[in-house]
Amino acid sequence: MLESLPDGQSHLDYPVIRVAHIYSSLLNVAGDGGNLSAIEHRAGWRGIATAIVPVEVSETPDFAAFDMIFIQGGQDVEMAVAADDLQHKGFSLREAADQGVVIFAVCAGLQLLGHRYIPSSGAALTGIGLLDLETRAGPKRFMQHAACEVHIGDRTGTVVGFENHSGLTELGRDVRPFGKVLAGAGNNGVDGTEGAIRDNVYATYLHGPVLPKNPWLADHLIQIALERKVGRPVDLPRLDDAVETSAHVAALNSAERNRGRRTALEPALLLRTRRPAPEWTPPSSSFR
Amino acid sequence: MGASQPNYLERSHPPKRALAATPRLVAALVAGKAGGRLSRLLGRGDGTSLPGLIARKIDPDILDSLVRRTGMPSIVITGSNGKTTTGRLITALLRGEGINARSNAAGANLAQGVATLAVCDSDLLGRQPDGLLVVEVDEGALREVVPELGPRAVLVLDLFRDQLDRYGELHAVSAAIESIADSLPAEAAWIINADDPLVASLAPDRRGRRVTFGFDLDRSTDHLTRAADSIRCPICRTDLSYDRVFLSHMGAYACPKCGFARPPLDVAVTALEMSGIAETKLTVRVLGTELVLRVPQPGVHIAYNVAAALAVMVGLGIAPVHASETLAAVRPAFGRIEVVQAGDKRIILGFVKNPTSYNTTLRAVDFAPEPRQLLVAASNTPVDGEDFAWLWDVDFEAIAPRLERVTVSGTRAPELANRLKYAGVDPSRTTVVEDRRRALDVALAAVETAGQLTILAGYTPTIELRGLMHQRGWVGPLRDA
Repeated sequence: MLESLPDGQSHLDYPVIRVAHIYSSLLNVAGDGGNLSAIEHRAGWRGIATAIVPVEVSETPDFAAFDMIFIQGGQDVEMAVAADDLQHKGFSLREAADQGVVIFAVCAGLQLLGHRYIPSSGAALTGIGLLDLETRAGPKRFMQHAACEVHIGDRTGTVVGFENHSGLTELGRDVRPFGKVLAGAGNNGVDGTEGAIRDNVYATYLHGPVLPKNPWLADHLIQIALERKVGRPVDLPRLDDAVETSAHVAALNSAERNRGRRTALEPALLLRTRRPAPEWTPPSSSFR
Repeated sequence: MGASQPNYLERSHPPKRALAATPRLVAALVAGKAGGRLSRLLGRGDGTSLPGLIARKIDPDILDSLVRRTGMPSIVITGSNGKTTTGRLITALLRGEGINARSNAAGANLAQGVATLAVCDSDLLGRQPDGLLVVEVDEGALREVVPELGPRAVLVLDLFRDQLDRYGELHAVSAAIESIADSLPAEAAWIINADDPLVASLAPDRRGRRVTFGFDLDRSTDHLTRAADSIRCPICRTDLSYDRVFLSHMGAYACPKCGFARPPLDVAVTALEMSGIAETKLTVRVLGTELVLRVPQPGVHIAYNVAAALAVMVGLGIAPVHASETLAAVRPAFGRIEVVQAGDKRIILGFVKNPTSYNTTLRAVDFAPEPRQLLVAASNTPVDGEDFAWLWDVDFEAIAPRLERVTVSGTRAPELANRLKYAGVDPSRTTVVEDRRRALDVALAAVETAGQLTILAGYTPTIELRGLMHQRGWVGPLRDA
């Protein structure tokens, strides 16, 4: 295993990959930080250095100057804060997307890059319209292992993860699905689509975190970011992925149990125990 | 603690009433007790939930009849982390003051577990001895259980991201706790962790007794990490500014925008000293009196649990005169950093269920000789949940360089092994053995004589591994722990 180099150094003639992590503390739920770890290590093991720059509320860098941008999952209240702030970042982010910067969005990140998010009550959250999609709060929460089939460039691969969202997303014409649902609910539990893609923007509902257990996807993101940066084809050395592959297979086996269960409320195991899931009423409601 | 403070147990409000034992109630008691006896005879389970489960099937109101309607005093403990340990501390403190306190078995904190306590506590006519019930209640069972108990005090320990796939989001859990606060009578004590911003913000308009606890230390004992959940103001969502950080998101904080800040502390830890894996020394200020205490359990979280237990005593109006003797004898609950002699080797057993309990336990075992030999286990079960993404919020990076050998076990072993790889543990140092028995053998075989193995495991694998240790005569049975 190659050791990663300190910031600012890189061999194999590759420059440092600059990664923006938008709202690293605000949107950090469900272990999505592992996606950054996957990029950092899988580049590092090949002697390619990364510099991860957190971009928080009220910071407005020039996003086109980055090679990769991450915006990931968060809880509802945090998402509202992020939606407000993201308006100030929207122009620069759209510019970066138009220029082919690699953007990876998960869950709340996916919803906020869309046109808007319409909650079950209250005002809609305005997104930045970087992705042609819209999300509406649904009556159920999809919480289960999930898998989809993803075609990117000339590659086809399976991506596994854990979905945990109640939003129902409809894709517009200017995006295509990130994947075709094999198991789980995907964007809305109905049309069999999962996530969205345009240019080098990849958005998914899958947590897990998704990149460490789908190493081919992590490598693809590194590769296209590098190719864009150096302006020529890049051939990444292969890594020993035995550990990642076995995590992938285990997650896929769990997802298999949910094949066809597109509207599952809870993990299959919980259903089998016949113990009712705890119910929550919104904060405004009175007791009982 | 002045004599002017009323003792809320003696006042016994509402007044104690005799129970009218209906045939249905008696049938439920008989069946529940018999079911528990039978399951123990058959060696199926430890009978911590079955009696209550059966009794509630026959008489769904049994908890309400036995506890609330008879005026049986009770205390409810809830929160993400530390319920069992704090329950043990409270029970010990109460017994130390001559009060016959009984509590539900470790972890049996859903409705059936709580009902089991009441059923086993009663005779066949529903008569119970005097005293008090110390009841640990899972966040998911609060709405169901609390109205049937009518407790004298509710203790909210902390709110951490705990098994997101079971509970939905953190703020939904806090909403449930808040609705409990609304349903309590004013004379019931509302006891909260002031250092936890989300907990401190709960039920601000509740009229009635409120007791706060926290740390009053002049230095931080932790720093904000990515496992910290509530670092934004619960009122206006601005980033909180922390003067000191004590444990994850708990600390001395204030909101720079709306002025929300940590409330004044009624019970405060004013000095804290870790001395090895075996003991924590601390000073706690309780209503102006300083108590110097030693507890035979390690970790910063133990100090929070002790402060919470003393705050409950304040809430009940009972002076903890014998606190220092009683707390010095409270050993860890099962798997809460239990030290086990395994022949000529030593095992440190740590039960971990979320990033915070993991990180806290990792820091506590750091006081022992280097954790070079590790067994980690995670399994997906209805109790442990399905989603293990939170493993990526555990700070394995901090111990990775010092690990010599790691055995990875449980039904989620592949995910855990992958997490360790990305934390910097070279796969050549990792062995994946999903079966718990073989994993224990493999891990122990790699430990030299007189050496030490640290085990960090989720709920189900902890029970399994501890069961194996019991079979080998290294520990007593679970129900005595």
